[in-house]
Amino acid sequence: MAWDNQYIHALVLIIAITVAFLTIMLLVAATVLAERRVLALIQGRLGPNRVGFGGVLQPFADFIKTMMKEDLVPDQSTRFVFLLAPMIAVITAIMAIIVYPFGPTITLPFLGTFPLRIAQFDVALLYVLGVTSVGVYGIALAGWSSNNKYSLMGGLRSSAQMISYELALGLSLIGVILLCGTLDIYRIVEQQSGWYGLHWNIIYQPLGFILYLIAAIAETNRVPFDLPEAETELVAGFHTEYSSIKFLLFFNAEYINMITVSMLATTLFLGGWNGPGVAQFPLLGVFYFFAKIVFFLFLYIWLRGTLPRFRFDQLMDFGWKFLLPAAILNIVLTATFLYLFT
Amino acid sequence: MGPQLSWYLALSAVLFTIGAVGVIVKRNVIAMFMCIELMLNAVNLSFVAFSSFFQDVTGQLFVFIVMTVAAAEAAVGLGIIITIFRNRESLDVDDANILKL
Amino acid sequence: MAIGCAIAMVSQSNPLYSAISLIGVFISLASIYVTLAAPFIAAVQVIVYAGAIMVLVIFVIMLLNVEHSEPRRKRLKFLVPMAIGMAAILLAETVFILHSVQTTENRLPGNISDVGLTHSIGEGLFTRYLLPFELTSVLLLMAIVGAMSLARRTSTLSATARVVPGAQVLAMDIANPSGVQDLRPVETETTEEAAHLLGVDFQSDRSKQA
Repeated sequence: MAWDNQYIHALVLIIAITVAFLTIMLLVAATVLAERRVLALIQGRLGPNRVGFGGVLQPFADFIKTMMKEDLVPDQSTRFVFLLAPMIAVITAIMAIIVYPFGPTITLPFLGTFPLRIAQFDVALLYVLGVTSVGVYGIALAGWSSNNKYSLMGGLRSSAQMISYELALGLSLIGVILLCGTLDIYRIVEQQSGWYGLHWNIIYQPLGFILYLIAAIAETNRVPFDLPEAETELVAGFHTEYSSIKFLLFFNAEYINMITVSMLATTLFLGGWNGPGVAQFPLLGVFYFFAKIVFFLFLYIWLRGTLPRFRFDQLMDFGWKFLLPAAILNIVLTATFLYLFT
Repeated sequence: MGPQLSWYLALSAVLFTIGAVGVIVKRNVIAMFMCIELMLNAVNLSFVAFSSFFQDVTGQLFVFIVMTVAAAEAAVGLGIIITIFRNRESLDVDDANILKL
Repeated sequence: MAIGCAIAMVSQSNPLYSAISLIGVFISLASIYVTLAAPFIAAVQVIVYAGAIMVLVIFVIMLLNVEHSEPRRKRLKFLVPMAIGMAAILLAETVFILHSVQTTENRLPGNISDVGLTHSIGEGLFTRYLLPFELTSVLLLMAIVGAMSLARRTSTLSATARVVPGAQVLAMDIANPSGVQDLRPVETETTEEAAHLLGVDFQSDRSKQA
């Protein structure tokens, strides 16, 4: 920001955080709706299309309905943990969005230039991984504090799956880090500009991209890796005992996680806000960024409608015996190519 | 004048003492293990404080290695705890007073 | 806040609350590291300590289902006052040392400090301190092998296992895991037969029990 005043800086940050938060919330609502409609279309039926024009008010209707439900709190000694778990899940899910650049540096007529991001620091990528690691607690503590054997098993299975795939997630990103030489997400996106899209990291890291995508889907507990959640549909799961607002918090946390990993995929592999014409119209970068995120969300929903789910031991086998060695192979190959050609 | 080095060292000493008290006082072997981790972290804090005040990267490197060692020790230690629990059905260190498993 | 969480951790009797307080300590320490211009160490602290080690500890607590600890036995009641006394002595020593030693460099950590950046840590790790780095990786390998060998299911049927003839029904695929999932029932008559079917040893000598 061109101004050096500390208070103006803080005010700009607060405005930026509010805008980003509202954007993410709207995106979550849109994703909920899109999921139901696209899933329905894949399955050969129409989704909800009566509330509002074409169903756009459906998520808000769902929100109001869920708020009105009775809020059950179990009568036992772990009440504090029971209340804490969904808060941890949502807080860590949202905390990850502050490092992503929504667009290039834009110049407003009176206010000077500012880059469209909330925070830029040296270890941004590690921060995102760290926040994802802490998000596992939300699920583990929720499973335990429900005082319900099925919840406990569901929670433990889900957190075991998440920590196994976190490893593959982190390792698949090391290829990108080797290529770009920095952990700062803003600079990684800047390095992918120019060359009409041929500088995007997906071209240099195809294996890393696929591994990252698989690990991200497993990390967010989505199909085909959603056995701990499918237990919710079938028997029980870690959020059986949660109702009303707390369930909404978990539900939101899952979608925000989906959006966060999609944002990470677009910034690291698909070039973030880069696209044709961004140099002349910087605001077009924001549009491209969201277009790519929507593409990934569509991919998530598409996979949900198409693939069956893994059994838990198959899931863990896949994570440890296939993804982890493949990610290490990716690192070795990337390092070898970098050494030979630089 | 901002935070001085001695403040960070004092915090590290206090955390270490709390951890040491915890190791002696606690009977549950998992809680004792967590107090050991607290002591390790207190030492990490003093390393990082020194490294920052003397602008030397060695402190942070050593912290990195200490963290790795702590992670390895956590894995093996928890494995031992689980094995002891399987054989004795009690997580009380006072019960684990014979060498025979 | 770090001290508050630490005291909470030591004073809680439920180990799960101790674990949560310890996570609080780790996260507050990570923020202290950020103020000390060590962002890489802060991020690694969150990922490794708060994100992985404590998850392991919480798994173990949940699996072993520990609850509150029992009251202390008589002959060990002296431990609490003794511990507090020793802690007081340790703190007094610390205060004495900190007052008497001249801390020369009272510089703040500079805002534009080069030390904590990932670049300098990586540089140091791979050039000057390569040997500790390699030794650490060997240590991690040892830990992995050790943890796996500890967690392997022991292949002996415990001496207290009893098979009541005609009461338990095993599924065939336990005895013959190579085939498809075969749920035909297998009946056993004695414990030795069950042990033989499961492919484990059976200590028929009860006097060997620990």
